[in-house]
Amino acid sequence: MIRTQVSLDQQEYALAKKEAKALGISVAEFVRRAVRDRLPISKEPPWMRYAGMVESGDPHSSASIDEIVYGSKD
Amino acid sequence: MAQKTRGYVDTSAFIALLDRSDSYHSSFRRLFSDPPALTTSALVIAEGHGWFLRRYDQRRAVSFLSFIQEVPVRIVGFDEAELEKTITYVKKFADQKLTLADAHGLALMKANHISNCWSTDRRLAVTGATLIC
Repeated sequence: MIRTQVSLDQQEYALAKKEAKALGISVAEFVRRAVRDRLPISKEPPWMRYAGMVESGDPHSSASIDEIVYGSKD
Repeated sequence: MAQKTRGYVDTSAFIALLDRSDSYHSSFRRLFSDPPALTTSALVIAEGHGWFLRRYDQRRAVSFLSFIQEVPVRIVGFDEAELEKTITYVKKFADQKLTLADAHGLALMKANHISNCWSTDRRLAVTGATLIC
């Protein structure tokens, strides 16, 4: 592994730290994932770089659309 | 070589692809990597955008729109004529609690003779479409 130094502004760092904490990973791992997500994957079409752009932690995420968008009825 | 069967894409398929935690993520990753001709509704785009806006934030909602601009999918608008066709399905399947986006999907599949629906939502199979997930 190559060690490198990255400068972030204060707000970006705070947001990255918050997001990493929510995902249960280190800030370094969060940055590695962010870099991986932006790199083109060979033989995959360009739109596939968005695949997995979020990690909700919910395996039933695609079944919660109505609840999130329209709200649940009492 | 076998011809790939064209499909209608529901909001749930987009979310499953974009959320790596979703249990159908791998499946849709494979499907979207080499897609057939795809069609969706403008209402599905609005739902997807709304999901990212409410679940996350404006930045991710914009990323969703950027993804939509790149993925090869025909987006059918929702005008008065489409509303008229869609209402038929809303009324016919009133017990299914279909959203307008769901019902427009059913109307589009019927009008375009599309039998495959990329979705994790069983309600989209109510007219006999095959769910692909």
